[in-house]
Amino acid sequence: MPTIAVDAMGGDHAPEEVVKGAAAISLETQIEVVLVGDEKQIQSNLDRVQYRPERIEVYHAEQAIGMAEEPHDAVRNKPRASVITTVELVARGQADAAVTAGNTGAAVLACARHFRFLPGIRRAALASVYPRQTEYPGQDQLALLLDVGATIRCEATELVQFAIMGSAYARRISKVPSPRVGLLNMGSEDNKGGEILVEAYRRLSHVPGVNFVGNIEGHELIRGKADVIVTEGFTGNVVLKLLEGIADSLSELAGSAARESWRYRLGLRVLESGLDRLRSLTDYTAYGGAPILGFEHLLIKAHGRSEARAIGNAIKVAAKAVRDGVVPEIRQTLKGL
Amino acid sequence: MATLHPTPVVFRWDLDKTYLRSEFDSFRDLVKIPFEKPEDKVTVPGVVTLIRQLRRVARQQGREVRVFFISASPPQIAKAIKEKLALDGTEYDGITFKNQLQHIMRGRFRNLREQVGYKLTVLLRQRNEFPDNAREVLFGDDWESDPIIYSLYADLLAGRLAAGDLPNILQRIGVDPELIDEAQVLARKLRPVAAVERIYIHLERLSPPKVFEPFGPRLVPAFDYFQSAACLYQDQHLDVDGVVDVAHSVMLEGQLSARNLANSLADICRRGYLHQRVREVLEWELMQRGVLPGSRQRRFLQRLQAWVRRHSRRTAFSPRPMPPHQGEIDYLQLVQHWQQRVTTDTSVPT
Repeated sequence: MPTIAVDAMGGDHAPEEVVKGAAAISLETQIEVVLVGDEKQIQSNLDRVQYRPERIEVYHAEQAIGMAEEPHDAVRNKPRASVITTVELVARGQADAAVTAGNTGAAVLACARHFRFLPGIRRAALASVYPRQTEYPGQDQLALLLDVGATIRCEATELVQFAIMGSAYARRISKVPSPRVGLLNMGSEDNKGGEILVEAYRRLSHVPGVNFVGNIEGHELIRGKADVIVTEGFTGNVVLKLLEGIADSLSELAGSAARESWRYRLGLRVLESGLDRLRSLTDYTAYGGAPILGFEHLLIKAHGRSEARAIGNAIKVAAKAVRDGVVPEIRQTLKGL
Repeated sequence: MATLHPTPVVFRWDLDKTYLRSEFDSFRDLVKIPFEKPEDKVTVPGVVTLIRQLRRVARQQGREVRVFFISASPPQIAKAIKEKLALDGTEYDGITFKNQLQHIMRGRFRNLREQVGYKLTVLLRQRNEFPDNAREVLFGDDWESDPIIYSLYADLLAGRLAAGDLPNILQRIGVDPELIDEAQVLARKLRPVAAVERIYIHLERLSPPKVFEPFGPRLVPAFDYFQSAACLYQDQHLDVDGVVDVAHSVMLEGQLSARNLANSLADICRRGYLHQRVREVLEWELMQRGVLPGSRQRRFLQRLQAWVRRHSRRTAFSPRPMPPHQGEIDYLQLVQHWQQRVTTDTSVPT
């Protein structure tokens, strides 16, 4: 069974919810978890829940990086921070993959410091999953978007590498034999988007093992046209936040409408089951987290607001990625180029 | 002939869920129990070895040792249970069963489920048969009321709880008035001595350890018998060979890996029941014998530490019991919390 190192001090609800999530995993699965962080705080939280001690190791880390801290400074000034120690444990082979819900920038920097890039990879990508429409029965309800923040601007080569990594991840995790890869752009034609995107388009059309379906425009993001959407970090991050913002606004709008009039309340009541389905589809806690790809090891970044369920699912995703050999799959695809 | 150790030791065990892995989660399970053959009954991983090792070490120390079982099962299944104990090779000095038929005949159906009055009176009655200086270690589980029964008994014996306070507490629990009177009479006969060293509660239900905080440090909630064995080593009831033997059994019967075992040892230490120094010594010994995993680097460091210890008189190690500084227990409040927990779930009382 894989061993997953979990940053117990990372996230808005750490360490309580992180410890709860790990404890639940120890009851439900055979996965071994290493909780990294303040030993006393971790144990005091464990004491309050049901857990299996034989599947939980606690590794003391005396420092923690806050969600609002500037990543570069924090990583430099806090070498014994829980997120750094978590990554170090994986790098040293004491765990198979890492999970954190903490500061994203610090997590990416910690990986860059302690993990080696896969041969041929120049930059890592932070991926994220989001719900979208499906085009055919059995299609995964989630699409993979990368990069969403590990980079700002990218070269065509890097976009091609993101496509390879995302494609391998989707093949192993979503079990899509030939995931459709799209390039996020401002038009569907191959000459749109400027030099870098045109070059990326040209190269992606000839990469073996990548099922490239062309450019994807903004309105197509939530349709099922592509399973993997490739973009530079700046745009990816804007898109991700926009999608999250729309989901939050819709739910707030529904709430205020219900407060305004009994007719709206009645209408919402009629639509309740449909809205519940929509809510469950957009519920990030069910997806666990998304990987930082490009290194010889994996780190799953869970949402900063993650509670126990989301942390548990992130641990499951990490274990699945290890078991299903995501990194060897990426390495293999890169070798074939 | 070995000189007798001045303090005899008595190990008292609950049977179901502590020694046997009895399944009575459903009515169907409950009905099945009387028809189970001895060979079908399954023990909790490591328990048989632990009892054997406790006896061996006590005898080696020249101590008089006794092992007793208290079961809430009816005498009708005594034969199967005794045969099971014989199959396991578990030596014991006595076993008590609950006469359920008597309660049915008298129409006292509430007593069929109520265990506090029954077990407490058995503990008190048997105590009068032990030498005055006999020390006791009690073993139970988190399924029903063992923590309350054993703590009440230990405090009555130590004189921390007056026999006169007993009726009020037992009434709250809903104990049969006849048993309350009997318990009070037996408690008054006790000569006060803090004879109960520890109470080990096997966390069969995986209850959150925090639940047991109000019982004080005398009560050790242990997830497996390897954790109990480590604490019993600290209290000098086991030697390293004994702990190693229990570790092997727990691994084999509980299908645990060496890493699982290392995590378990670390857990009991983090929870404050095992001294860090004892943990280090046990880790080293278990690593040496190939039970626990260890990296080459770690083995070297451990070897270095052990060498320093061997050559330093001041730090020479011998396990020493951590005397539990047992404070007063507010039983009335505790009973209220405990009853809520048993009837609802395993959440931590606030």
